[in-house]
Amino acid sequence: MLTSKVFVKKTKRGGVLKVVREHYLRDDITCGSQHCTKCDHNVNVETENSPETDIDSYNVGKSKTQPLVISPPSNSELCSSSHYVIPDTNVVLHQIDVLEDESLQNFIILQTVIDEVKHRSLPANKRLKDILANSSKHFYTFCNEYNSETYVEREPGESSNDRNDRAIRTAAKWYTNHLQEYEKDISIVLLTDDNDNRTKAKEAGIMSFTVHEYIKSLKNGGNLIDRLAWKSSAGTQQEGKLIYPEHIATSDILKGVKSGKYLQGSFMASRENYLEASVNVTESEKFVLIQGHQNLNRAVHSDIVAIEMLPEAEWSCPSSLVLEDTAQAEDDALEDDSKLKNKVPEHLRQPTGRVVGIIKRNWRQYCGILKPSLLKKGTKHLFVPAERRIPKIRIETRQAEDLATQRIIVAIDSWPRSSRYPQGHFVRKLGNIGDKGAENEVLLLEHDVPHQVFSEKVLSFLPKMPWSITKEDMKHRKDLRDIVVCSVDPPGCTDIDDALHCRLLDNGNYEVGVHIADVSHFIRPGTALDEEAANRGTTVYLTDKRIDMVPELLSSNLCSLRCDVERLAFTVIWEMTEDAKILNTSFTKSVINSKASLMYSEAQARIDDKTMNDELTLSLRGLNKLAKLLKQSRIDAGALCLASTEVRFQVDSETADPIDVQTKKLLETNSMVEEFMLLANISVAKKILEEFPNCALLRRHPSPPPSNFEPVIKAASSKGFIMDCSSNKNLAESLNKAEFDENPYFNTMLRIMTTRCMMQAVYFCSGMLPESEYVHYGLAAAIYTHFTSPIRRYSDIIVHRLLAVCIGADASYPDLLEKKKTQSLCNNLNYRHKMAQYAGRASVNLHTHLFFKTRVQDEDGYVLFVRKNALQVLIPKYGLEGTLYLNENKKSPTQFVYNEEQDTQTAGDVVFHVFDHVIIQLSIDRSNVQHLKLAINLVKPQIPGFSVAPASQVDGEKEKVGPPSKKARK
Amino acid sequence: MADVNYSEAEKTFILHGIQDKFPCREDGRGCEDYRHMEIETGVVSNTSGSARLRLANTDILVGVKAELGVPSPEKPDSGCIEFFVDCSANATPEFEGRGGEELATEISTVLSRCYDNSGCLDLKSLCIIPKQQCWILYIDVLLLECGGNLFDAASIGVKAALYNTRIPNVTVNQEDDEMEIELSDDPYDVNRLDISSSPCIVTLSKIGHYHVVDASQKEEACCLARLMMGVTAKGTISALKKEGWGSLNPESIFDMMETGKKIGQVLNTSLLNVLEEEEKSGNKRKTVGFLK
Repeated sequence: MLTSKVFVKKTKRGGVLKVVREHYLRDDITCGSQHCTKCDHNVNVETENSPETDIDSYNVGKSKTQPLVISPPSNSELCSSSHYVIPDTNVVLHQIDVLEDESLQNFIILQTVIDEVKHRSLPANKRLKDILANSSKHFYTFCNEYNSETYVEREPGESSNDRNDRAIRTAAKWYTNHLQEYEKDISIVLLTDDNDNRTKAKEAGIMSFTVHEYIKSLKNGGNLIDRLAWKSSAGTQQEGKLIYPEHIATSDILKGVKSGKYLQGSFMASRENYLEASVNVTESEKFVLIQGHQNLNRAVHSDIVAIEMLPEAEWSCPSSLVLEDTAQAEDDALEDDSKLKNKVPEHLRQPTGRVVGIIKRNWRQYCGILKPSLLKKGTKHLFVPAERRIPKIRIETRQAEDLATQRIIVAIDSWPRSSRYPQGHFVRKLGNIGDKGAENEVLLLEHDVPHQVFSEKVLSFLPKMPWSITKEDMKHRKDLRDIVVCSVDPPGCTDIDDALHCRLLDNGNYEVGVHIADVSHFIRPGTALDEEAANRGTTVYLTDKRIDMVPELLSSNLCSLRCDVERLAFTVIWEMTEDAKILNTSFTKSVINSKASLMYSEAQARIDDKTMNDELTLSLRGLNKLAKLLKQSRIDAGALCLASTEVRFQVDSETADPIDVQTKKLLETNSMVEEFMLLANISVAKKILEEFPNCALLRRHPSPPPSNFEPVIKAASSKGFIMDCSSNKNLAESLNKAEFDENPYFNTMLRIMTTRCMMQAVYFCSGMLPESEYVHYGLAAAIYTHFTSPIRRYSDIIVHRLLAVCIGADASYPDLLEKKKTQSLCNNLNYRHKMAQYAGRASVNLHTHLFFKTRVQDEDGYVLFVRKNALQVLIPKYGLEGTLYLNENKKSPTQFVYNEEQDTQTAGDVVFHVFDHVIIQLSIDRSNVQHLKLAINLVKPQIPGFSVAPASQVDGEKEKVGPPSKKARK
Repeated sequence: MADVNYSEAEKTFILHGIQDKFPCREDGRGCEDYRHMEIETGVVSNTSGSARLRLANTDILVGVKAELGVPSPEKPDSGCIEFFVDCSANATPEFEGRGGEELATEISTVLSRCYDNSGCLDLKSLCIIPKQQCWILYIDVLLLECGGNLFDAASIGVKAALYNTRIPNVTVNQEDDEMEIELSDDPYDVNRLDISSSPCIVTLSKIGHYHVVDASQKEEACCLARLMMGVTAKGTISALKKEGWGSLNPESIFDMMETGKKIGQVLNTSLLNVLEEEEKSGNKRKTVGFLK
């Protein structure tokens, strides 16, 4: 039967369009119950059974395959007979955490509900889909909108919500009647929190409860009650004092934003001070400061908010205070605000605003722990998220004692005006606090790293083993199997994606080849494998774990260029003169057979050992010689050598606890490999840009605005050095000159500080930006891309595909050449890379904490920054940075005085400048289990009443074991 | 127009029939009788209003599309109405290419002249923001088959389609000097047009010394001159046009006008009755459309 859906909509240009969609109603949509014999259930499973089977068992067999079981056991006290449950849209939207629980089965999800959920919340929609796909949950999708008996048409004067409610009731009624006629009745329970809807349902003879009623009536529902979201309209919280100003209505916000009265932007809470945040205003790229509870007005980190600018007289500046939310009671909200009220000198004032409304909440689920509560038996608790930018969350749980030692996940439901903290509900446990698995899980979740095992669908696109190279593969490939190729990598590396060779040609020139694993041969565009890799974007390296971007079969076997096996590669070959001038460049797909997988140290030893003169060693020496020349010319062009502190842990072989830390050593061979990788990247970038000026995937590193360098210039000038930051070349020279005999670490620190001034390097699509913005500041290259690590970066796979099209080795596909698609891919890659970096750092932090769990040590440190109430101290040995809080104890006789002009802190006759040497004591502060903080106390210089006595050195047993496999970043 | 060549004898036969004391037309009608008419509205779902009219063999489809636009400078506080007639080559092979253009322009000109009067259709109600935004009604008349008396048929179709037209309700939000138009999300929240005083065209064809209404194709071939007039339900004549190479003397013009007025009034009332009756059967009515 045909009917049509008619609606009018406004077009972008302001016109009005009447849209008519045809809507076909069917009479063959089945109820999905195994109980039912009326519906023709065999439509979907026709192929599964052989036609010879006799009719009776045939039909029974068919209905057995239906998702809803014959007689579901009933745990509910409200409805003791067997029943199926139909939830309405709001129940699905708000209580998805509960629906995900294994114990809730035999639900019917109506199409009306799915459509509405899809419209209102994408994350909820995705989770709903996952539930529906899980066959053990016995959830059934009933297409009520296409069933001729349950379709309802909107009536005059009826809002679309009312229509949908009516559609849900009609479907529930249909089910009730449909399943009634069997000897063993199955009832239908409609779950809805809407009173009106429930009354109408009851009038129509449908059993209907609220979610809370139903879940509470379940005999085994103990855990589920905790996970129920708060009723948004519940009156319980209303009586309290209203703390926050009201949010204005969405329509007013949108109007205000349009007229310029309000600004729209993403809200970014400060990591250091819970009473401060900045809003990144869309379209103008400017940051607006928000200060104080009232002005922050319940915005949570990463929400999209509307703000109103404050009059200029009330503008403020970020305080240099490091503040942590330690408030115990509700009513100190106003007090907190006064902490920040200080007159700000005019020249420091920044644009300041206040949040007037929320445009879009970007709440996700948060990891954290329960705040130890005084009342152990109570049900109301505070949850402390691991992410500092997220406020504490109020939850209700009956299992507080059990959860006290656990890392848990909590979701926010709402934030009423009268509540100081947002309200949420418990979702699930991750594991014990301090347990490495649980902590790693927290780390991955907090950084949004996709880390599930690869799905069957993804794995189905892997090549079948045993795999070998076929004739087909050789068609577009050069056979380079007889060339002496080798790979040089860090110890323990299993995903080898690059190999090198170098040989002297007859004409006296060198032929240098860089061979990169041909991952794009295995990952074909459009497959589930490709989509998964594109979503993951990068392999994430934690200190003790690697989260692969592609399944292990590829990353550690088929794509890894191991020695003595034939592997597919993408090769760049240069002909170079003796002084490293490139004569010509060629690209080809190839087959190689690596002769050796060396470690950096092994390669170094071969080069240095004068007695070795085999072909491999000669090749390495040639590479090394050319690399030095290349590096020199790069530095001459203005490339920067920046420093960051990277450490590696030596790990106990049994407990996997770190037992020693060392900073990474760099050998000549590290830089050798790096030089050729850079060269390959640049050559490829040129090639793909030439061929695809509009859709090449490149990487740029914008030059930082001069204001970024101010802290470095200020710090350097305090020691009498002048930094010239006008160009990268001048900066590199200034850095080289800044040597300081008394403090050998000075130069490195200056480089670390300079690194912090830099912008993030990002991927982009060449068609989206003017050519002048392609430059890579740090490498001093006019153009750059990533080509050399396709196993662990998705960007490289795209670049491989582009290059393959350039040389005619592979076909292109539409999405590859679409610049908007490429740009949105780039945005995802940039995000994933940033998150992977943060996750890596967090993992190092975690291990540092584990390392200091049993230790108290005194170490050398240097002051990196002087803040208003703290010193940032760098501890070179561990590559750590810690905060030494000053004036914490107001009653202490020693008080520090901060001098903003000169950046100093003075106490008595001791003055702290930037770069000053100190000795500090490291230990773990156990006062807060959540963030096991590394406590830093001053040992030297001694300040009575502040510094602590030196600790007796504790010698941990040192046991050298295989270091973790972490690959150096190029 | 689709002229058919008839023999002199045949023409004389028609002429003599009408000249009789008890005039008898070739199909047995009297001079003031219309042929059988069938009308249905709401036949094209993606228009704002539509109607299909079949007058004996004449077949016409009318669609009304309401779009937002800017009012004309002369009438800043009222909406617009625009006619477009398409003579499909389905109707007769002569319309192929640009063959039907002349006729199409003629019909649309007469229709616009009929409606070019503030009393015929309240165009002011179509204005949303004076000088800035108004509804423009595009009325498309599609000629599917020619069976004579196209003008009358087209005008009846237009009137029915206007009756069927539903214009979405809009609200204006004023923000400083920015005006924003918002659509109601309820598809039933619509405005109707008042067509009680819209005209229908009545064509009187002079055949010999007499005049007839609703001339068939054959009669049109014998006609020397005709007078078309837009007549409203109250009998007001909103437009008048004489066509054909023959001459009319003033007396017979008055005569014809009187007849036209009388017939126009009846035509308008019975059309409105039919439309109202159709409306009463509501949404449940099954559309017949072209499936008959």
